[in-house]
Amino acid sequence: AAASCALLAPAAGAFVFRKAGAGRRRPGGAAQGRQRWRSDGRALQKLPVHMGLVVTEEEPSYADMASLVVWCMAVGISYISVYDHNGIFKRNNSRLMDEILKQQQELLGLDCSKYMVKFANQDKADQVLNCQSTLKVLSPEDGKADIVKAAQNFCQLVAQQQRTYTDLDVNVLDNLLSSTNGFPDPDLVLKFGPVDSTLGFLPWHIRLTEIISLPSHLNISYEDFFSALHHYAACEQRWGK
Amino acid sequence: MSWIREGELTIIERFCANIIKAGPMPKHVAFIMDGNRRYAQKCHVERQQGHSQGFEKLAQTLRWCLNLGIREVTVYAFSIENFKRSKEEVDGLMDLARQKFSRLLEEQESLKKHGVCIRVLGDLPLLPLDIQELIAQAVLATRNYNKCFLNVCFAYTSRHEISSAVREMAWGVEQGLLEPSDVSESLLDKCLYTNNSPDPDLLIRTSGEVRLSDFLLWQTSHSCLVFQSVLWPEYSFWNLCEAILRFQMNYSALQKARDSYMEERRRQQMERDQDYVTKKLQQEGFASHGDSRRRRTLLQKCTAMREERIQGFLQALEHKRADFFERLCPVSA
Repeated sequence: AAASCALLAPAAGAFVFRKAGAGRRRPGGAAQGRQRWRSDGRALQKLPVHMGLVVTEEEPSYADMASLVVWCMAVGISYISVYDHNGIFKRNNSRLMDEILKQQQELLGLDCSKYMVKFANQDKADQVLNCQSTLKVLSPEDGKADIVKAAQNFCQLVAQQQRTYTDLDVNVLDNLLSSTNGFPDPDLVLKFGPVDSTLGFLPWHIRLTEIISLPSHLNISYEDFFSALHHYAACEQRWGK
Repeated sequence: MSWIREGELTIIERFCANIIKAGPMPKHVAFIMDGNRRYAQKCHVERQQGHSQGFEKLAQTLRWCLNLGIREVTVYAFSIENFKRSKEEVDGLMDLARQKFSRLLEEQESLKKHGVCIRVLGDLPLLPLDIQELIAQAVLATRNYNKCFLNVCFAYTSRHEISSAVREMAWGVEQGLLEPSDVSESLLDKCLYTNNSPDPDLLIRTSGEVRLSDFLLWQTSHSCLVFQSVLWPEYSFWNLCEAILRFQMNYSALQKARDSYMEERRRQQMERDQDYVTKKLQQEGFASHGDSRRRRTLLQKCTAMREERIQGFLQALEHKRADFFERLCPVSA
């Protein structure tokens, strides 16, 4: 009976009961670590193109979130978004960025000037170099509020007689949204913490997103992170057919 | 009545129901009834049989919800994406719909007795005309009942619903009923197909899939999401209790999150209104910090005028929607 109420698909029932990781992985040699992570990513049948990291716990940990972001990069995920419903990460953006840079150094042993994650929130051109992953830090204002803003903008155009109401359909509205400019919809959300809800994370964009729950992001281990990716790789999507 | 199974809970079920009801109970539960086809495969029967069994399970689940005091249920019966399925399967589902809605209309007495208000939400013009007519009859016949509410999402996706709500507001602006600045989250809420319902407290998806599949995305942003691996036609009273227990475990965290979200929303609206008033005062030549009484009066006036516009618009929207159904059955009861 307990298994039938798992937050995840049955095969991974273990997630719910597993303790949050046994410490972060420290690579033997940094170059070795990098190679290992890249091959881990390639070993999966499919990788999410856009991964959402959603924290439902009240006290987010910058270090742990930074690890998660860096692991995403290492494994080859192109778009990463970070979210907490209190907007703490967003308000303390620079603190998170600093932690990410630090972790990149430690975990990937990379020279920061050579291999950088592009911070999509910031305009600092000097931090954007040979980037392979893009990061966005989001909060509730990027969800419903962004849809409302798009609606207001459209209505303004209608008031100015530049558009008529019948012009608005799903695609038009989709294009008017700005919170995730340039990002595809998330394929996968890793949701951390005990709350069984998305708590306002990009409601429009998550229509087909797989939602995998993990007990906590605190002291999360690479193994737990990778298991979730592995689980995602195994899922089948029928797309309504 | 064929849509709600007759019968009371067994003694054991009633015992558990009483325990559960000691805690907070969801007022509105939404179901993604997934797994009919896999069930059919498992039992080596036709897909159509799977869907049929699925409907029976719906009737039974509605009964359990009523027994538990859950008065509003929303179900995802047919997605716009499902039109992509084989013609055979789509026709089969349409026939099932014809059958069930026709049957519903034959059971007027029972609907009245149970006070069931049936609403069908979706892009109804996409459906065959005869089904639209059956739906219109069912909706009009039960629109004044209020003991319990069943919302059936048919030819529905959440993105279509949200777009339609925005389109309605744009229509309102075009008609001169609304100002663009009247557009807000709460107004959008009132333009959705679900505007007569509170947000679902609990969303249950069966068959083990862990995604929302374009269902009630706006309305469930702060709902308790429960994913269960059981296939829909095999859903049991115990599965339902498990989901409700999950809801109870999440209750305070979700209440807190919802309250702080609403508080933030109110604060932002207040900020926007204050900015507007400041600008207005400046235009009229008064210092922006001006007379606080003048500020208050202007704020009250603007808010009142906005309220009036919104009421007028919502009434017009209501008429438009009622009109759509009434035109489908000119000989309505």
